[in-house]
Amino acid sequence: MIRYAWLVPLFPALAFPVIAFITRRLRTLSALVGIGAIAASFVLSLGILWETLTSGVTMEKPVEYALSWLALPGAKDWVLKIEAGVLVDPLSAVMLLVVTLVALLVEIYSVGYMHGDPGFSVFFGYLSLFSASMLGLVLANNFFMMFFFWELVGLCSYLLIGFYFHKPEAARASLKAFVVNRVADFGFMLGFFYLFLMFKTFNFRELAEALPHAPHMGLLAVAATLIFAGPIGKSAQFPLHVWLPDAMEGPTPVSALIHAATMVAAGVYLLARAFVLFASIPEVSLLVAYVGGFTALFAATIALTQRDIKRILAYSTMSQLGYMIMAMGVGSMTAGMFHLTTHAIFKALLFLGAGSVIHALHEQDIFRMGGLAKDMKVTTATFVLGALALAGIPPLAGFWSKDEILLAAYSNGYTGLYILGTVVAFLTSFYMFRLIFVAFFGRRRAGLHGHESPKCMTVPLIILATLTVVAGFIGAPFVPHGFSSWVYFGEPHHLEPNYFVMVTSTLVAILGIYLAWLIYGKEVISAEALAQRWRSIHTVLYNKYYIDEAYLWFFRRVVLGLAEAFHWHDRHVVDGIFDGVGDTVRWSGYRLRYLHSGSLPVYALVFFAAVVVFVLWVATPVIGGIR
Amino acid sequence: MITLNHYLMLGGVLFVIGLFGALAKKNAIAVLMGIELMLNAVNINLAAFNRFLNPDKVVGLVFAIFVIVVAAVEVAVGLAIVINLYRQRLNTSVDEADWLKW
Amino acid sequence: MPVWELLSVELLTAFLGLGLLVLGLLVPKGQKRGLGYLAALGLVGIAALAFALREAQGVVWEGYIIDPFGTYFKLLFLFAAILTCVSSFEYIGRLGNGEGEYYALIILSTLGMMILASAGELITLYLGLELMTISFCILATYRRGDMKSAEAGIKYIILGALSSAILLYGLSLLYGSTGSTLIKDISLVVNSGGVTPLMVVGMIFLLGGFAFKMAAVPFHMWAPDVYEGAPTPVTAFLSVASKAAAFAAFLRVFFVALGDSHPLWAEVIVALTILSVVVGNLVAIPQKNIKRLLAYSSISQAGYLLLGIVAFSTLGVGAILYHSMLYVFANMGAFMVATVFYNADKSDEIQDYAGLARRSPLLAAVMLFSLLSLAGIPPLAGFVSKFYLFMAVIDQGYIWLAILAVLMSMVSVYYYLQVVKVMYLGDPPPGRPAIEVPLGVQIALACSLAVLFLFGIYPTPLTNYAFSSAAAFFH
Repeated sequence: MIRYAWLVPLFPALAFPVIAFITRRLRTLSALVGIGAIAASFVLSLGILWETLTSGVTMEKPVEYALSWLALPGAKDWVLKIEAGVLVDPLSAVMLLVVTLVALLVEIYSVGYMHGDPGFSVFFGYLSLFSASMLGLVLANNFFMMFFFWELVGLCSYLLIGFYFHKPEAARASLKAFVVNRVADFGFMLGFFYLFLMFKTFNFRELAEALPHAPHMGLLAVAATLIFAGPIGKSAQFPLHVWLPDAMEGPTPVSALIHAATMVAAGVYLLARAFVLFASIPEVSLLVAYVGGFTALFAATIALTQRDIKRILAYSTMSQLGYMIMAMGVGSMTAGMFHLTTHAIFKALLFLGAGSVIHALHEQDIFRMGGLAKDMKVTTATFVLGALALAGIPPLAGFWSKDEILLAAYSNGYTGLYILGTVVAFLTSFYMFRLIFVAFFGRRRAGLHGHESPKCMTVPLIILATLTVVAGFIGAPFVPHGFSSWVYFGEPHHLEPNYFVMVTSTLVAILGIYLAWLIYGKEVISAEALAQRWRSIHTVLYNKYYIDEAYLWFFRRVVLGLAEAFHWHDRHVVDGIFDGVGDTVRWSGYRLRYLHSGSLPVYALVFFAAVVVFVLWVATPVIGGIR
Repeated sequence: MITLNHYLMLGGVLFVIGLFGALAKKNAIAVLMGIELMLNAVNINLAAFNRFLNPDKVVGLVFAIFVIVVAAVEVAVGLAIVINLYRQRLNTSVDEADWLKW
Repeated sequence: MPVWELLSVELLTAFLGLGLLVLGLLVPKGQKRGLGYLAALGLVGIAALAFALREAQGVVWEGYIIDPFGTYFKLLFLFAAILTCVSSFEYIGRLGNGEGEYYALIILSTLGMMILASAGELITLYLGLELMTISFCILATYRRGDMKSAEAGIKYIILGALSSAILLYGLSLLYGSTGSTLIKDISLVVNSGGVTPLMVVGMIFLLGGFAFKMAAVPFHMWAPDVYEGAPTPVTAFLSVASKAAAFAAFLRVFFVALGDSHPLWAEVIVALTILSVVVGNLVAIPQKNIKRLLAYSSISQAGYLLLGIVAFSTLGVGAILYHSMLYVFANMGAFMVATVFYNADKSDEIQDYAGLARRSPLLAAVMLFSLLSLAGIPPLAGFVSKFYLFMAVIDQGYIWLAILAVLMSMVSVYYYLQVVKVMYLGDPPPGRPAIEVPLGVQIALACSLAVLFLFGIYPTPLTNYAFSSAAAFFH
């Protein structure tokens, strides 16, 4: 199976042109092609994971094979060598399965959600292209190839956020996502080019081997920091997080697949892939840990006050990604990847549930919903299950993975980050159950009545809910040969279950739920009064710390001001020079052509004159005895 | 005593005379004749080198024979082309064939 | 390997050419089209054989070298000849005379090029060169009633004869100063430090003769005129194959026989490179005739190929092999479009291409991508090959030369895009019908496009082949 790993991205990659050029008019067929392709990839991924775990492929002994894509033999060594290769180890095998699973369920779900949309076929085409790029990114065996797919998923994200391009907000949001990500990607690109200059290779394994012989640790730290810019952008970490909430303008299945489960996790995956680089520089690790931790807290506080169901989930995603990145920073790749896996499942579940609600009500403001539990039994049940998992209630998936992160922070001596993580756990359960009590159980505020979604939408919800219950056990501390013995850095480590950490995190989660119930369920504490009391804080949180405004101000005043200045300079100085150069070039072209007089004797003369000149040039020193 | 250098000088002079003819003559046939002179200069060189360097191998002479053959072919084709030109322009002046330029 | 097997490609080519000559006399007047198909199919077969024998290595009678390097070039000539034949069916059919001779001459000139690429001896080299040149002289005048064609013929035969006279003089001096016509013997003499003034003069004469065939400035004067006047398929063949043949022979003579005197001629090559790249690209700007524009563009391409010679390394030779192969497809693509367009509209003027995109999207697209590949725009193959050439000279420390070449590449985008602008933004002249492209040409166009895209996106198979051939060349 592992030998055929390259087929995994190829299936959806082929589905894209088929849908775009052949089945575009035939909507059902387009959906079938897309789903069939990703289903094939899913089955193959299952096989790959199975073979990886049973045939002794480990993190130290991965399977790697590559085609040389571009190769330049130099005088002594390779001047440049770029491969198109596949690297299969437990890390990529797990990630493949996560991506194909979520993509498969999301595509099935989309059949119902996008039903009747004029861009139905195109939507499936884009989803296939995205899946192909994401799977390519996962399998990449070198930075160059990863960057290629990294850009491609960015492009798909742009296309899908702007899927409803006739809506100005969607168009703006897609542009914002693209621009913000370009800034980050530029840093990433500089970083790995820098590495290439130092080590003359893009290949992950060759880099890992060469790393101990790094010529200069300072330069290496610069490269690592630049590479970290990539995850900051793609995984929406502070301060480049601003694009993710706006990205919710895209169709909800897209939010579930791209902006919750897979693409935004690519940043975390990159950190895992290049873990050896980050682990070898403590200062950069610390930066990673604190950026992640800060984002986790920062996003969770914003989520407390938001009213839009998808935006709450988006901030929650940011916060959870912060957790994962923090885990990478505190040195536990296992915990980060485990949380990535479980989070992909329950966050996809939550988004798809939210999509089900939106599909029924055409409304996204939770304070205009209410009492949905009566109309939408399946959706409500699965959504609550997802929220419990996210809040970290045992024995659901989120509990185990979040605990692993908190434990890693606690036992690796980052007590500050541990406390911060626990606070975030409390906030998480509070804002999630605020959402649930308001939207699903409260009174019908705007008189909107929902109805249950069709089978093709509820079945994926049920599957994901089931996985939410069981997935945590693959990494639970009492399970032998679990997740931590597959995906690890250094040596497989098995943390002893720490009951202090477990009990504390469960208690704060329950506390958060209880508080939410008091305020929004039983309404014994008035939310209004609280908001009035802490008015200034509430306003700041509701406006997301005014970061968008600050950026806007910065761009309007500073960047546009500079742009004006540059524009003038361009118009009058640079253009002048370039026009001048262009004119000179053209003018010399027009002059030089008259050398070609058309007269044969002149041609012959030029020929012979050139020979004579060259003979004199070369032969004179020889005849004169100089050479 | 006639040495190699004498032959080479003869060849050189002949070559330059041929070249002058090729460059200065207006009539295409005369130009072709000039080029023939240049080729014959080469033949003199080849024969002389063969004689003075290693007379027991006949490489130079064989080369000269090939040159003579090729020169004949060249002139045959050249004359045909000149006739073709003459049919269209009613003269064979290489100077006036300058439709194609710039 | 027995001799006949080593020589099988050349022998079959000779048989095909002579056979067509005879058949041309036997076939009745109305059915001569079949000769073209026969020529094309025969060449495809020979190309398949050459590909099968690509690893063959051996020396025939001391002076004829069969090696992967030579076979690579033979494949290149064969591809060019196949595309030329395919694009000639219509064009030559309309001339109404001498179809058999036409295809025979194409194939015999191909034979000449093959001999040039494999010659390990000066007499052989000279014969190959003359076979190629004389065939081309006849082909250039093939439009018998046409003033331009006649003028192209007279210019090519006289200048060609002059250049080969000079080259021959160089050969005689080389023979005289080393006592042998075998390249390996000459290299022994040069290796032992025996560089005499006589030899240096011979070397430069030789260089001038090759540079003439490459159309490198300042030996390029003939090229634009002959390219403009010759029948379009012939121009296409001349611009790609005879240039490549000159490079093949040049590499053999200068890298092997005269390799140790490299410091002597290196500066001259640098001068040729600069002049070709600058003059070729600048003078292309004001051109109004598509064939003349492509002529100047091919002069500049000679300059880019010379970069590989400047580098004087395996990487450089590999880059020359790679670039010249892709140059075949890009340039043949552009010329095939010009041929089809001429058949339809009887014009080579760029302004008449206005609105071609609407009259024939296929033709416009092939022209567009061929020109972009010539300009070196990714993801087309021309980008990768230029990249290799530039890297080759940078590797040897000629960064300034690479920068100059890149700058002049940017200039080339300007005049290429002028053509594109006319094709895509211009309005077709009223009353002009859509252009029908014959099936054979459609296939050939599609193949060229596929090659340009395939080796632009995934260059490795061809680069591996090119670099291993180059490595074999240096053994």
